[in-house]
Amino acid sequence: MPTVSVKWQKELFSNVEIDTSQSPYVFKCQLYDLTGVPPERQKIMVKGGLLKDDADWSKLGVKEGQKLMMMGTADEIVKAPEKGPVFAEDMPEEEQVIHMGHSAGLFNLGNTCYMNSTVQCLHSVPELKSALIKYPPPVRSNEVDQTSHLLTVATRDLFNDLDKNVKPVAPMRFLTELRKKYPQFAQLQNGVYMQQDAEECWTQLIYTLSQSLKSPSSSEAPDAMKRLFGIDLVSRVHCPESGEESAETESVYSLKCHISQEVNHLHEGLKHGLKSELEKASPSLGRSALYLKDSRINDLPRYLTIQFVRFFWKRESNQKAKILRKVDYPLELDVYDFCSEDLRKRLEVPRRILRDEEGKKLGLKTSDKNSGSTDDDVKMAEAEASSNRSGDSSKCEPVEDVPEKEKALTGIYDLVAVLTHKGRSADSGHYVAWVKQENGKWIQFDDDNPIPQREDDITRLSGGGDWHMAYICMYKARVIPM
Amino acid sequence: MAPAEDPNSTGSTGGGATRDQASVKVPAKDPKKKDEKKDEDLSEEDLALKQQLELYVERAQDSDPGLQKAALESMRQEIRTATSSMTSVPKPLKFLRPHYGTLQAHYEKMADSDLKKLLADILSVLALTMSPEGERASLKYRLLGSEGDIGSWGHEYVRNLAGEISQEYAKRQTEEALIDDLMELVGQIVAFHMKHNAEPEAVDLLMEVEDLDLLVEHVDNANYKRTCLYLTSSAKYLPGPDDMLVLDIAYTIYMKFEEFPRALQIALYLDNMQYVKQVFTSCNDLRKKQQFCFILARHGITFELDDEMSPEDEERESLQEIINNTKLSEGYLTLARDIEVMEPKSPEDIYKAHLLDGRASGGGSVDSARQNLAGTFVNAFVNAGFGQDKLMTVPSEVSSGGSSTSWLFKNKDHGKASAAASLGMILLWDVDSGLAQLDKYFHSTDTHVVAGALLGVGIVNCGIKNDCDPALALLADYIDKEDSSIRIGAIMGLGLAYAGSQNEQIRSKLTPILGDAKSSLDVIAFTAISLGLVYVGSCNEEVAQAIIFVLMDRSESELGEALARLLPLGLGLLYLGKQESVEATAEVSKTFNEKIRKHCDMTLLSCAYAGTGNVLKVQHFLGQCAQHLEKGETYQGPAVLGIAMVAMAEELGLEMAIRSLEHLLQYGEQNIRRAVPLALGLLCISNPKVNVMDTLSRLSHDADTEVAMAAIVSLGLIGAGTNNARIAGMLRNLSSYYYKDASLLFCVRIGQGLVHLGKGLLTLSPYHSERFLLSPTALAGLVTLLHACLDMKAIVLGKYHYVLYFLVLAMQPRMLMTVDENLKPLSVPVRVGQAVDVVGQAGRPKTITGFQTHSTPVLLSAGDRAELATEKYVPLSPILEGFVILKENPEYREDN
Repeated sequence: MPTVSVKWQKELFSNVEIDTSQSPYVFKCQLYDLTGVPPERQKIMVKGGLLKDDADWSKLGVKEGQKLMMMGTADEIVKAPEKGPVFAEDMPEEEQVIHMGHSAGLFNLGNTCYMNSTVQCLHSVPELKSALIKYPPPVRSNEVDQTSHLLTVATRDLFNDLDKNVKPVAPMRFLTELRKKYPQFAQLQNGVYMQQDAEECWTQLIYTLSQSLKSPSSSEAPDAMKRLFGIDLVSRVHCPESGEESAETESVYSLKCHISQEVNHLHEGLKHGLKSELEKASPSLGRSALYLKDSRINDLPRYLTIQFVRFFWKRESNQKAKILRKVDYPLELDVYDFCSEDLRKRLEVPRRILRDEEGKKLGLKTSDKNSGSTDDDVKMAEAEASSNRSGDSSKCEPVEDVPEKEKALTGIYDLVAVLTHKGRSADSGHYVAWVKQENGKWIQFDDDNPIPQREDDITRLSGGGDWHMAYICMYKARVIPM
Repeated sequence: MAPAEDPNSTGSTGGGATRDQASVKVPAKDPKKKDEKKDEDLSEEDLALKQQLELYVERAQDSDPGLQKAALESMRQEIRTATSSMTSVPKPLKFLRPHYGTLQAHYEKMADSDLKKLLADILSVLALTMSPEGERASLKYRLLGSEGDIGSWGHEYVRNLAGEISQEYAKRQTEEALIDDLMELVGQIVAFHMKHNAEPEAVDLLMEVEDLDLLVEHVDNANYKRTCLYLTSSAKYLPGPDDMLVLDIAYTIYMKFEEFPRALQIALYLDNMQYVKQVFTSCNDLRKKQQFCFILARHGITFELDDEMSPEDEERESLQEIINNTKLSEGYLTLARDIEVMEPKSPEDIYKAHLLDGRASGGGSVDSARQNLAGTFVNAFVNAGFGQDKLMTVPSEVSSGGSSTSWLFKNKDHGKASAAASLGMILLWDVDSGLAQLDKYFHSTDTHVVAGALLGVGIVNCGIKNDCDPALALLADYIDKEDSSIRIGAIMGLGLAYAGSQNEQIRSKLTPILGDAKSSLDVIAFTAISLGLVYVGSCNEEVAQAIIFVLMDRSESELGEALARLLPLGLGLLYLGKQESVEATAEVSKTFNEKIRKHCDMTLLSCAYAGTGNVLKVQHFLGQCAQHLEKGETYQGPAVLGIAMVAMAEELGLEMAIRSLEHLLQYGEQNIRRAVPLALGLLCISNPKVNVMDTLSRLSHDADTEVAMAAIVSLGLIGAGTNNARIAGMLRNLSSYYYKDASLLFCVRIGQGLVHLGKGLLTLSPYHSERFLLSPTALAGLVTLLHACLDMKAIVLGKYHYVLYFLVLAMQPRMLMTVDENLKPLSVPVRVGQAVDVVGQAGRPKTITGFQTHSTPVLLSAGDRAELATEKYVPLSPILEGFVILKENPEYREDN
C-alpha cells in the first residue's frame, strides 16, 4: 500500500494511503473526505493523464511518496443565465436607434443638404411626427391637392424611416415629391441640380404641411401646424404724417431677425424685425404715404422658428449674398418683451409659477452644491430636460388635446435645433442641422454623418467668420402644467 | 646619446605640437622639396639631431663593421627613445626618411650578418612611414630582422605590422603558401596587445588570421571580460559560421575564468545544450546553480537536470523547480505588492472615458457583444497574473446570488471562450489556484465555455512546468471531441502550455489530427501552430512532414482561407532561428500549390533567420516587397514581417529596418502597407520609440481601415506593459475618433489593454539578458499573433479573437528581483539607468547613465540596466535582470 501526497489547490495532503486492491474510485472517496470535492468532480493527474475510476493501480505504477495533483472544486457549476443579455448587435435596427441616442442621417443626393438639414430640424419635433402619423385623416378634405398630399405622405414616411434606421437614409421619394410640388427646387445648372436656400425649403414645407394637416372639420381646435409653429402678430400701423392708426392681425410661421449694424444679439434683431415701414395709400391724405408698422406677438406657438435674415439679393453679383455679422443667440429665449399687452397678461401667472418652481429647484441645488460638481449651465440643462420630459410624456398620450390645454405657455423658449449655413451665398455652401435629442445631447447632422456635439459649441454658431453660422433657429416652448 | 629633449616631440600640447603636425603632413607628399625648406626653420636642437642622424646613416655604410655596428645601434637607440605622441611622426623617423632609400640599397649589398639583421629592424621601422601601400615592406624587413621584442618599437609599429600581416595572410592563403613565420609574429603581437589593453586589436588580428584559439592562452583575469565582451558583440556583425566560432571562444574563455553565468548565456545563445550541461557540471556552488536555473527559466526553455549536473536528489529537485518557473508567480506578486498595484483594475479604469470631452458614446445601457469582448481582453491583459480582477474573479456570492449575470455570459458565443480563457490569464503562472478556479467551467454545458476553460488551462500553465503535467492530463481528452471550438481550445492550450518542450506525447497526440482529412481547416491550422510552438526551433522532421502533407493535400480553396496562413507558420516555427537548416524544407515548399507556395517560402525564410540580423536576408525580403503583385497573392505580408524578424537582432539593423519600412509605406502596395505597422510593432515591442510612435499614430488615421487597425494594435504592442502616457493618450483620442466603428474601436481597446499590460509590470520583448538572448517561445508567440493580424478582419475580428492569447508566451515581468541565498526577497539599493555601450572601451567605463537609485524589486524599461548601489552584496549573475541571487560580500565593512 503505497502512500502518496496529494496536492490540491494550495494545500498538500501528505501520507494518503492508496489501497491498490480497490478501484481508484475508493481513493477518490478518501480524497472526498479530505477536500470535500465529490468524486465525480475530482480530476487526479497521474503521469500522462487523468486517473480513471476503473483504472488499474498496478498499471499506473504509483510509487511510494509520489506527488499527485488533484483538480476540482465543490463550487457551483456555472450555468448560463436563463435570460442572457441582449446584445446591441443582435437587436433590430429600431432598437439600436434608441441606444445610439440619435436618429439616422440622410444621404446627400446631390446638393440636397438644404433639404436634409431642414428635414432633420423638423424631424426633431415629436408633435409634428404624431400629427403626421394621423395623416391622411379618415375624411380627406378636398382642399388638399394631389402634390401636397403626396409630399405629406413622403414626409411622414421619411420621418418614419429616420426613426427606424441606424444607417443613413436616402430621402429619394421625398425629394421627388418636393420637386414635383415646388419645381423651383429642381432647377438645373450645368446639368446638375442647384443648391437651394434652406429657408425657402423650410417655409414651403411648413406651408404644405399646414395645408394638408388642417383638420377637415373646422369645428375642432385650430389646425396642428398652426398650433405648433404659427405666431399671431398684432400690428399697429401708424402714419406719422396723417396721424392715422389702424390695427392688423396676421399669422406667420417664423419671426425674422434682421441684421444691421446695431444688431449684436438675437433680441435686438427680433425687435428690428417687428418694426417695419411700408408705403400705402392713405385714405385721409389721398395719396400713398409712409406708414410705420409695429408688430407684437399675440399668440405664441409651441415651437418658435426664428430666421436670421442673412441673405440679401445682391444685384451686382446676381446672387443672394450673405451677411457674416455675428449675432449671438441664447440657449434660453424670453419673448416677453415682444408680446402684446393682452398676451403678457395671459403669461403672467404661468411665468410666476415657473419662476417659483425654478427658484425652488435652485434653492435645493444650492444646498447640495458642495457635493455636486456640475455648474449652473448643467443644472439648467437638467431642469430643462426634466421639464421637457414631463411635457413629452404627457404629449405622448393618445388624447392629445386635453393635456395640451392644461399646459400653459410661459414665453420662455429653449433652443432645440439650429440650421446653419457655411459659405458665402444662399445658393452655395453647405447646410447642416444641429439638433438637440431627447436625451439632451446635441447632434450635428451633416448629411449622412451624425456627430455628437457639446452644448457650448452650439452657441458658437453665431457667425462672424467662415464657420457654420445659424440661419434658422428653432426654440421649444417651456410649459408648465396648470 | 641623450634622449630627444625636444619638448615639441614629446609634449602633446602647445603650439609646438601643432606646428609639428603641420609640417609633417605636407612632406608626406613631397618630401624632398619640403626638407630643404624646413632646414631653415628647424630649431638648433633639431638641426643637431638631424645632422647626427645623417652622420649615422653615412657611417652605417662605412666599411668598418665596428663603426657600422655603433652607428646602427645608436640609430636604433634614437628611434626607440623617441616614440612620441600618436599624432606626430617621431623626429628621428622624420629625419631618417630621406635616407630610407640609401639604407635600403645598402642593405641589399650587405652580407648576411647580425648587422644586417640590425639594419633590417631599422628598415622595418622606417618602412612604417615610408613604404608605399601594398608593399608590406615593414613586415618583410621584420621577418628578415632580428626578431627581438616587438613592443620595443612602440604601439604604432605593432599596429601597422598587424595590418600588414592580415594582408599578407590573405595573399598567402590564396597562394596556399606557408604561414608559420607569420603565425609566430601573430603570437608576439597578440601577446603584446593583450598586455596593453588592446584586446579588440588582438581579437581583430586573430580573426583575420583565423586562429582565435590562440586568444585563450593570452587572456588573463584582468582582460578576459573586455575580450569576451568584444567577442560577443562582434559576433552579431560576423557572417556565419564565424560568429559561432567567436562565441565558442568566448564560452571557452568564460569557462576558463569560471564566469559561469556569462558562459551559460553564450551556451543559450548558441542553443547548445551540451554547453549548458557543462556549465552545470563545472560548477559546484548550489547558489550559483540556482542562479543558472533562474536564467534558464527566463529564457523559457525546457531543461531537465540529471545526476551529473546535480548529484543530490533534494538539491536537484529544488533546482528543477526553479527551471520549471514555479517561483515566477510568487516573485511577480511580490513585485506587485511592493509597487502597490495589487488593486484590480476594470476596463473602464483603462479607457478613462471621463478624460474625453463630450464624445463618450451615448447609450451605454445595452451591452454590445463586441465591446464586452474587448472589455474581456482588456481586463485579462491588465490584470494578467494578479489573480484578481473586477469581472471574472469577483466573489461567487455576487455572481450567483445577485440578479446580475456574471461577466462570462455577457459575452456572445465564441466570445465566451475568450472570456473563460481570460480567467487563465488573470491567474497566469499560478497553476494551483488557476486550475481550481477554472474547474467550474469544465462542467458547463456550453461548448464555448468549455473551450475557453481548456484554453485557460493552457494559459495558466504557459512557461510553467509541472511533474504531474496537469495541462496534458486535462486537455488530452478533449482534442478528439466533436465540437471544433472545444478541439481548438484544447489544442491551442497544449501549444501554449508546452511551448518549446518538444514533448513526444503531444506530438503523438496532435500529428494524427493533421493527417485526418475530416478535420476542419481551423482545427488543422491551430494544430499546426501548436506543434510549431511545442517544437519551436527544433527542426523536427516528423512534425515538418506532417504539416507539409497537409499543405500538399488540402484543396486550393481551403488554402485560400485566412486561417491557412497559420499552416506555413507552424512549419516555419520549427526552424525558428535555425538558418540553413530550413533549406531542405524550403526546397519541398516549392512544390506546393502555387497559391501558398510563395507565402510559405517567405514565412519559412523569415522564421529561419529570425533574430539573426542577416543583412542579406533583409535585402532579399525588401526585394520581394518591391514586386508588384497580381491580385490575391499574400506573400508580401510575411516578407514585411520577415524584415522585422530578421532585423530585430541588434540596434543598428533595427534602425535601418525602421527606415526601410518607412520607404515601403511610401511606395508599397496596399498589402505591404498593411503589414508595415505590424513589422514596426515587432521591431519596437514594449519599447516605445518616439519616431515609431509618431509613424504609427499617423497610420492610425489611414484611409485604409486595415492599415489603421494594424497601426492601432501596433501602438499597443510598442507600448505593451509600459503605461506610456503618450500612447495611452493617443489611443484614448482614437477611441473617441472611432467611436462609431465597432471594429476599429475593438482594436483601440486591445491597444489600450496592451499598453497597460499587467498594470505596467510586464514586457512582451522576447529579448532579455541585456538584449543578448532571444527567447524562442516568446518570439514564436509574437510572430503567430502578427501573422494572424495580417488578416485582421477574418481572424482577430472574426471568431478567432483568442489568437490574442498567443501573446502570453511573450509575457514576462520586466523586473529586477533580488533574493537572498534562501531565495527570499531581499531589498537592496540599486542604480537603474540607461545602458551604455562599453564595448572596446579601456579601463572600467561607466555602464549606465542618467541613473536613479531605487530599492529592489524595481522595474526595468527597455534599454535600462541596473547595478548594485551597495558593496554589501555580490550578485551571482553579472546581468541584473529577473531573479538575481545576492551573496553577502565577505570583504564588506560598514563605514563607521
